[in-house]
Order: sequence, then C-alpha cells, then structure tokens
Amino acid sequence: MGDGLLRGLWKLLLVVVAMGTLVAVLGGVIYCRHLSTEIEERFSARRWHIPSQVFSDSLMLYPGQRINRRLLENALHRLRYRVVAHEPMNKGEMHIAPEQIEIFLHDLKVLSRTRSGFAVKILFSGNTIKSMFRRDSGKSLALLELEPEEIMLFFGQEREKRQLVSLDQLPEYFMHAVLAAEDHRFFDHHGFDVRGIFRAFLANLREGRISQGGSTITQQLAKSYFLTPQRTFRRKFKELLMALTIEAMYDKNEILEIYLNEIYLGQKGSVAINGVGEASYFYFGKPVSDLTLAEAAVIGGLIIGPNLYSPYKDMGQCLKRRDIVLRSMQQQNWISQESLAKALKEPVKTIGETDYGKKAPYFVDYLSGQLGTLYSPEALSSLGLSIYTTLDTLVQEAAETALEKGLARLESRNSEVYGLMKPDKRLQGAVVVLQPKTGHILALVGGRHYSLSQFNRVTQARRQPGSAFKPLIFASGLDIFTPASMLSNAPKSYRVEGELWTPQNYEKLSQTWVSMRDALTRSINRATVDLAMKTGLDRIVRAAEAFEFSTPFRPLPSVALGAFEVIPLELARAYCAFASDGLLANPLSMKAVVDEKGKVLERRHMTVERVISPAKSFILSSMLRSAVETGTARSLKDLGIHFPVAGKTGTTNEYRDAWFVGYTPDILALVWVGFDDGSSVHAPGSAAALPIWAELMKAIPQHISGKWFHVPPGVTTRTICLQSGQLAVRGACPDHKEEFFLVDNVPDKNCRIHRGRSPFNYIFRRFEGVF
Amino acid sequence: MSFDQLNLRLCRLGATALIVLFVASCAPPRVVVSTPPSKPIPSPPPAEEPPETSREPDPRAVASLELNQQARLLLEKGRIDDAISLLERAMTLNPMDGKNYYYLAEAWLAKGDTSQAHEFNRLAEMYLADDPEWVVKTVQQRKRINEAFR
Repeated sequence: MGDGLLRGLWKLLLVVVAMGTLVAVLGGVIYCRHLSTEIEERFSARRWHIPSQVFSDSLMLYPGQRINRRLLENALHRLRYRVVAHEPMNKGEMHIAPEQIEIFLHDLKVLSRTRSGFAVKILFSGNTIKSMFRRDSGKSLALLELEPEEIMLFFGQEREKRQLVSLDQLPEYFMHAVLAAEDHRFFDHHGFDVRGIFRAFLANLREGRISQGGSTITQQLAKSYFLTPQRTFRRKFKELLMALTIEAMYDKNEILEIYLNEIYLGQKGSVAINGVGEASYFYFGKPVSDLTLAEAAVIGGLIIGPNLYSPYKDMGQCLKRRDIVLRSMQQQNWISQESLAKALKEPVKTIGETDYGKKAPYFVDYLSGQLGTLYSPEALSSLGLSIYTTLDTLVQEAAETALEKGLARLESRNSEVYGLMKPDKRLQGAVVVLQPKTGHILALVGGRHYSLSQFNRVTQARRQPGSAFKPLIFASGLDIFTPASMLSNAPKSYRVEGELWTPQNYEKLSQTWVSMRDALTRSINRATVDLAMKTGLDRIVRAAEAFEFSTPFRPLPSVALGAFEVIPLELARAYCAFASDGLLANPLSMKAVVDEKGKVLERRHMTVERVISPAKSFILSSMLRSAVETGTARSLKDLGIHFPVAGKTGTTNEYRDAWFVGYTPDILALVWVGFDDGSSVHAPGSAAALPIWAELMKAIPQHISGKWFHVPPGVTTRTICLQSGQLAVRGACPDHKEEFFLVDNVPDKNCRIHRGRSPFNYIFRRFEGVF
Repeated sequence: MSFDQLNLRLCRLGATALIVLFVASCAPPRVVVSTPPSKPIPSPPPAEEPPETSREPDPRAVASLELNQQARLLLEKGRIDDAISLLERAMTLNPMDGKNYYYLAEAWLAKGDTSQAHEFNRLAEMYLADDPEWVVKTVQQRKRINEAFR
C-alpha cells in the first residue's frame, strides 16, 4: 500500500514535471516565436535613425585665384585635414608652408560627382594661387573642387550620429580587433558562451574590477537594440532568449554588421557617437577602411567603456586598452608578432575634438524653414538625407568676423552713448551676401550672438530702409527722367495722411536744382521726393511691387525716403536686379537634397524674372557707382576698396537704422546695424554699416574680379552741361561731362543757359530778323 | 558786268555766307573744351575699366571656360541638372561670358522651361552681340525657343 502510494506519487510527480517541462518548452518556443516577430519587425524596418546632414557649397580653387589664405586654411581644418610636418602620405593629411599647401584630398562625393582622393600641391604667390598640380602625375590642374563642409545635422530626440558601414568596407584586422576586444569566439558559439562568461568572471576576479564582459556580441546587440539598461534577472533572461533567437534567424556576418553599426562609441557634446563608421571619423578623421591596425585596436578597445578609454578623455587608459586588444589579437594568431610590435609603438593621433554646433546658424534656420515645407522634422532626423546648400563658408566666416568687429568698434567709440547695455539689448547687426546673378545666398548673419537671440534680422526683421530705398525710386524715375534731369532741392511741404510733411536734407545744400545723378550720389532727400512726385507715386509703388517686396507700399511721398519697413533680404534681392541686367533672382539657400543611396530627391536652380531693362539697371548702377566714388559712400576708398563698386548708404530718423548695400557684377552684400528696440545708433550708414561691408569684401578677394558692368544695348552717351542738364554747347558750357542715357530718352535740347554765349548763336541771332 | 549782275552776285554770296553761318550755328554741339569744373562733380564712371596691360588671361575667365566645357559634356550626356549647376558656377566666375548664358538657355530648353530659356537667350544675345558667329547661333536658338513655346 505504502509502496503503491509512493510509486503513484512518484509517477504523478514525473507527470507533473514532464508536463511542466513541456509547458515551459512550449512557452519558451512561443515566447521565442513572439521575440522573433519583434526582431524581424525591427530588422526589416529601418534599423537606425540617421540625422540628415547639411553641407555648404564646395569650394573651387583655380590658378590665378586670389584667396584669403587664413580663411582657406580654416576651411581645410574644418574639413578635417590633419596638419603633418612631412609630405602628406594618407588621405586627410596636409602640409602647410608659406608658399604652398600640400593636401592629400579626401574622397569627394557631391551629388553625382565622385572623385577619389589624391595628393595635390597648391603653390601661392602672396594670396594668389600660382599653380596647382597632382603630386602623383605632375599634371597641372585647371580647377580643384574641395569637399563641402558639414554645417549642421538634424538630430532627433535620441541625438545619435552614425555613418553606416558594411562588412566588405572593413579591413579584416578591424573586425579582428573588435572580436579580440569583445567576443573572440563569436564565430564558434550560438549566441551564448558559457566559456566566455567563466573566462570573464575569472579575469575580473583576478583584476579586482570589471575589465571584461561576459556577454557575447549577439547578447550585446540584443541588449542595446531591444532592451532597457536595467540590470534585472528578467531582462537578462530575455536578453539570452533574444540572442538565441537572433542567432537562429540571421547569419553571423549579418549580426556582426548590425552590431558594428549599432554600438555606442563615445560622446561629442550632447551627441552620441554610434557605430564604427562614425567613430572612425570622430577619433581619426577618416573612413574605417583607412584605419591603421593600431587605430582599429583603439576603436575595438573603446567598446567596453567609450568614455573611460576615449583618447579625448584619458590617453593613458586608451593606450593601455589598445595594447590589451592588440596582444589579444596576436594570441588569437590574427596578427603577427612583427605587426604587434609595430602597432604597439604607434602613437594615438586623433583628429581633435570639435562640437557638432551649428555653423552659420541663422543661415541654417532660414534653410530649415524652407526644408520644412518638403520634409517633416522626423524625416529630417531619421532619413539620413544630404542637403547641399549655397553657403560659402569662407564668406560666412568673413561676414561673421566683419560684423562682430564692426559692432565692437562702434560700441567702443560710442560707449558713453550706448551705456552699459544688457547682452540681449546690445547693438545688433545683420549681413547677407548674395551672388546677384544666381540669387545664391553665400553668407547670412542674422544677428550678433545666436545663443542669445535667434531672431533672424536678415529674414525676419522689418526695418525702415531710409535712403537705401532710393535706388528703387530712381529706377522707376528713369522712365521719364534722365541722370542729367534737374530736380528741385527747394524746401517744400507735402500733405501726408492729413498732416504737412517737409522733407529735410541730411546735409545743408544751397543749390536749388540738382541733377538726378547728383541727387542719388549725394542722397538728397528733397530732390528725391521731387523726383517721386513728378514720376507719380502710384507708378513708384507699382515699380517697387515688381521687386516682390512683402511690404504693402502706399502711394505717399515718404515712400521716396524709405519710410516703409522692409525685410533686409528682400531689399538685398531688389538690388540684385540692378547687378544682373535687370533680372530678379530668387534668393536660394538649398541646391539639392540627396537620399542615403545617392538618389537626388530635390534640385533647385536659379530662376530669374525680368523686372527692369538691362539698360536701366546699367544706368542705375552707374549712378550708384558715383555714390561710391564721390558721394555718400566715398569713404569706401579710404577703407581700401579700390575696385569699382555700386553702393548706397541708408540712415533713418534719429539714426535708428544704418545701412549699406554695395555690389559689383560678382557679389552683393547688405549690412544693417541698429538696435532691436529702435534706439539710436548715433551714426549714419556710412559710418556704421559701410566699414563692415569694406572689411568683409577685403577678406574675400576670390569673389572680386575688379570688373565693371558691360554696357548693354539701349544705352548711349551724350555730353551735357552740368548746370542745365541739357546738351552741352561747344565752347560755351564751362562744366560739362559725358552722361549715360537710355536711347529712347536722350535730351534733345541744347543748354539753355549757355546757348546764348556761342559765337555762332550770337551771329545767328543777329540775323534772326532777316530770316 | 552790270551793276545788277554785281548786285545779284553779292546777294548770292551774302546768302551763301548766311546759309553757311546758319548751318554752322545749327550743327550739333561738339564739346572739346576741358575747362576744369569749379566744384567736385559726380561724373559718370567709365563704362568699363580700361583693358589691363598684362597679356595674362583672366584666371576667372579661364576657370569659367573650364566649367563651361564640363557642362557642355554633361549636356550632351543628357545630365541637364548637373550641367545647369556647373553653368551657374561658370556664370558667377565670368558674368560677361555670353556662352554660359547660351548653354543655360539650351539646358532650360531641354528641361522644357521656355520662360527661363528665353531670359538666358536674351542675355546671350546681349553679351555675344560683338561675335557674328554667336549672333547667328543665338538668333537660331531664339527661334527654337519660340517654336518650343508654341
């Protein structure tokens, strides 16, 4: 009975255990099946969020080009070229000498253009490129394109940066370095390695600290890809099951590739460096394929503690860890004794730590606004797009420097007047530089300190342009008047919205009549209002609207003096038409968007629209050149600007705004200086904004050809009397000059003042009664 | 010679002299004097700078030409967008070279945008007006653009 009961109980227990095991196995299988679905979903979907990158325009170099050496070298540093003391032997190295720069170029991939890196020698004569040639073949180069600079990354919430690599891009010793550091039996186990755990346990016990992890690469992948970092038994168990499931579903190479792209390898400011592709650039400034054995061992050694063994944090620890990895590689017979000895002697040369801060932040904000109509923030932070822009980083740096120096100079000169301003109330300024023909925005500085104020004074501010608006009045006046036409400088009052308004000149001027050219050159307010009234305010408003300002202008006399607030970028754009044969280009910041696979998704080209004739734009440019040569902007010459420039200053009431817009056939820049709250700058445009423009232009000789505009069809010249503005009479008019006219608007009357003094006219008049 | 004949001759002579005087006084004024002005006068600057004495080719023009040639190859291969990008660069390096505008017009025509093609053709006509061979080309191009527009 007793035995029977015992046997019965024993059988029952066996059945229960068997059933339990069966249930556990079944449960495990079902759970693994569930996990496999989760894994498959994650792996078949997009594995990583890759932030989109924003690039500047690429820099073109050519023989004969004048270039600012300092700005060029800064750009090369930003492009992650390492200075070496010898001839560059590897991609990414450069050697700088007084009369030459030798660069081993990185590979170039811009849109559809690709080029393998090669060594190039650039010889200089002063700041001019004398010649350029390839070091390998000695072949001289007519053009050299440098890679575009990364100026911003669209991070998502996770703020991770990675560059994907495939296994076939990696040197074998790199994979071995990772395996030696983390899991040298990776190709022998099935996701879980008891020997590895035991070995790690012993090693850690021996060293008295955790120097080795027991997790396999597959476990690490499961942990970082699917699980939280909590250290619980349940999570560890799930990690184990997941590792086994992953091993059952994918082959070893696929698992290793995902792992190498996934792992966390350091921190750059607030941005996590993930994957060996990005780490290779972050630490050594080159692709993984170009890493040396010692460098590969550094990255392999980082995996266990990226911030502990980072060469940026602790070089000593980094070296120790690297050597452990190298020795482990040799123990596995993956490298020879000689290779080990050589690698152990190699110093760790990093590229240097830089932050992922936005470069040209106001430009990028403006660009982001335009991109926002094409892509959602989520798409930008995850799709890994490459966005190519028009930004010229050399011009941007020059503009930022010129603005900061100019504002600081004004502050020191007016320190008593400005008083002790709070940082957010300090004098502000803005600069935008455009290529007038294409509308490409080369540089945009929307304020003084982006960290203090993100308000973009180039694209968002609305300020009175003052006299800087006058060229638009004169452009519309050219339909009726000519540069020689006489305008009234007499004091006169006008009724503006029921009140009397009497425009005043900036400087006292005794002349009652001034020529149209003189009125613009010397920025004479009364004559400008006279011109506007004679031209017709409705006509002027229509003409101004053709330049596509967003400002609703009204036909008031004060429109002539720039009383209506405008957006600085729109004003700069309007001036572009004067510099490009009357064609109004759209301001362009984005050139193209390319996806991860190199497919061009968006392409933007210059688009133009005619707003005035080439002849009118030429004559207006000629008048604005007079403003620079003899008028309100003549101080440009004293500031070292000796090439032909058309320009206009602008100053508003109480010196609230100071402007200067200047251009050549090659480049146009607008400078605005003022306070956000409208306080007085206590200086006119010629003293506050113009010197900033001059400093900027002197820093970018590569954009200055020194040429002036071609005379277009429809322009002719006549000699005119300066006193009457009519055709000069030979031998009679004492002050005369050549003047440009539109062919269909040429003066046809002889000088009325001096006509009587001509000897022939004298005789003619004696016989007038006879005929 | 009678007194009447003499009188008639004198009258003719006088009339001729008067006509000469009249014509002379009505002739278009020509200014050759160079009296210095009494005050600084804002004269119009010269239209173009005097030619440089150096015979060295303009480096910007050379670089622009290089880009133009690369762009033409791309145009021939049908890579229109790439060609436009290069031509835009070429144009900014040498805004006076009408050939850049000519090929930009070709590119835009190939893209089917006759409005842009027309604007660039106008610029090409303007900047190539002194070159008879290119004048013919730009006129032919204009006709093609007009036909495409129809």
